[in-house]
Amino acid sequence: MDTNKLIKISSITKKLLVGLFGAFLLVFLLFHMCANLFILAKDGGDAYSAFCHFMGTNVIVKVFEIVLFATFFLHMCLSCWLWWQNRKNRPVRYHQPSRTKTAKGSKLAIVTGSLLLLCIVFHFYDFYFVKMNVVKGTYMVNTEQLMIAAQKGNQEADPSVEQALIKCMTKEGGISADYKWLRNIESADKEVLQKAYPEAEFEPDFYNMARQKFSVWHIVLCYLVFFFLVGLHIRHGFESAFQTFGLNHYKYSKLIEVLGIIYCWVICLGFAIVPIVVFLGL
Amino acid sequence: MNFTLHIWRQENAKAKGRFETYKVSDISSDCSFLEMLDILNEQLINDHIAHPVCFDNDCREGICGMCGLYINGRPHGNDDGITTCQLHMRKFNDGDEIWIEPWRAKAFPVICDLVVDRSAFDKIIQAGGYISVTTGGVPDANTIPVAKRFADMAMDAAECIGCGACVAACKNASAMLFVGAKVAHLALLPQGQVEANERVKKMVCRMDELGFGSCTNTYACEAECPKQIKRQNIARLNREWIKQLFSGNHKPNE
Repeated sequence: MDTNKLIKISSITKKLLVGLFGAFLLVFLLFHMCANLFILAKDGGDAYSAFCHFMGTNVIVKVFEIVLFATFFLHMCLSCWLWWQNRKNRPVRYHQPSRTKTAKGSKLAIVTGSLLLLCIVFHFYDFYFVKMNVVKGTYMVNTEQLMIAAQKGNQEADPSVEQALIKCMTKEGGISADYKWLRNIESADKEVLQKAYPEAEFEPDFYNMARQKFSVWHIVLCYLVFFFLVGLHIRHGFESAFQTFGLNHYKYSKLIEVLGIIYCWVICLGFAIVPIVVFLGL
Repeated sequence: MNFTLHIWRQENAKAKGRFETYKVSDISSDCSFLEMLDILNEQLINDHIAHPVCFDNDCREGICGMCGLYINGRPHGNDDGITTCQLHMRKFNDGDEIWIEPWRAKAFPVICDLVVDRSAFDKIIQAGGYISVTTGGVPDANTIPVAKRFADMAMDAAECIGCGACVAACKNASAMLFVGAKVAHLALLPQGQVEANERVKKMVCRMDELGFGSCTNTYACEAECPKQIKRQNIARLNREWIKQLFSGNHKPNE
């Protein structure tokens, strides 16, 4: 397909693609929300750490991560492209503001979408960039790996390494219940340990990072605003996707609307409950 | 009743427009909106104030689709399921200020004052909104079986009078409801199904070419349609489009 034809892709096809990518993101959100609920498990974060380890190391997950980013990027680009084209279709604006009753979520989709992008950058700064080694965070390491690395390394005992180890082990939530993970390692200690045991693989400790972040009230508030925006965007997205795929019928439109509202609330509350419970220490 | 009118005046397509303010008094509450404009025009002519205000109108009973004014932020004024000619002054309060604007869309350029060129709709119909063969006279009942509910849905879609309120109301100036109605009423009936794939392709491409926007699902069109054409017709248009995307074994003769 030549570029000219690509640019001329019909408005409906573009909408279909936005909807398709959006639907994928909707499913991802549900998955992300369910995963977050592990943080609330009363096991000191063992289940969540194991889950994070799996997500961080599994090959299929890594492929999915690329698909997810591509989907997100395309969803965003196509939406902006449509928005830009649509803006040009009314060169002279009305003097009077519109008083037509409309679906507000749809009207504001581009605004909530843009704000969400901003929120996601901050969210990445908090969590994902730690994984990418761009931002410093809290880390965890497999104790078995650490022991093997310690046995291999024949260097003389460095007091700073020992100090760092003791500090981590005595910390609250430092050693997991199954003794599998040494967690809650601060980035300064991580660097000392990494230097001493270069073979040990340090992973971001999302459990403790989340607990630390969500104990600060303004971060909790920011995340609640973030989830509210997600909710508004989904409220438009869910129903809209069905409409765009042509799956709207006199018989089922009410059902789809109700499902959309339920989905929106489930996602919103599911995400919001984690920072709230952590903050209140319930 | 007395009103202050702010009316968009524009001498021709190229001239720069502006709002002019006029006052009308002693208007009967049973007067229709267009009759009120007639009274204003009489005043303007008799008192040598200005050229009469140009506005489109024809049947004045809500079936032709000629009239269309953007009144106080709503196409066809502040009521549901009516055309401008069916709007009555009793819907306003005495002493109201009324802002009257033409349809605003790239595809609907202003010709003069409140008159816009809606031939873009004709061009969309010309692209494929028809059946190519002569279907002859009225066939005997039930020679071609059509289920009642499909006949009803086709009839509801065919109610579209092409006034352009959907485009005027849409924040993207999208014609999806119009095209949806035109595609749906033919796609629902056996006579129209033969050319369905080709039709939807040609009509949607023409719609895009003419500078109409895409649908953002705000359903402003549905809210303002004087014939209350439903959003389900847009869904049917999308469905027909998807069907066309995967049908593949035809080439439109362009």
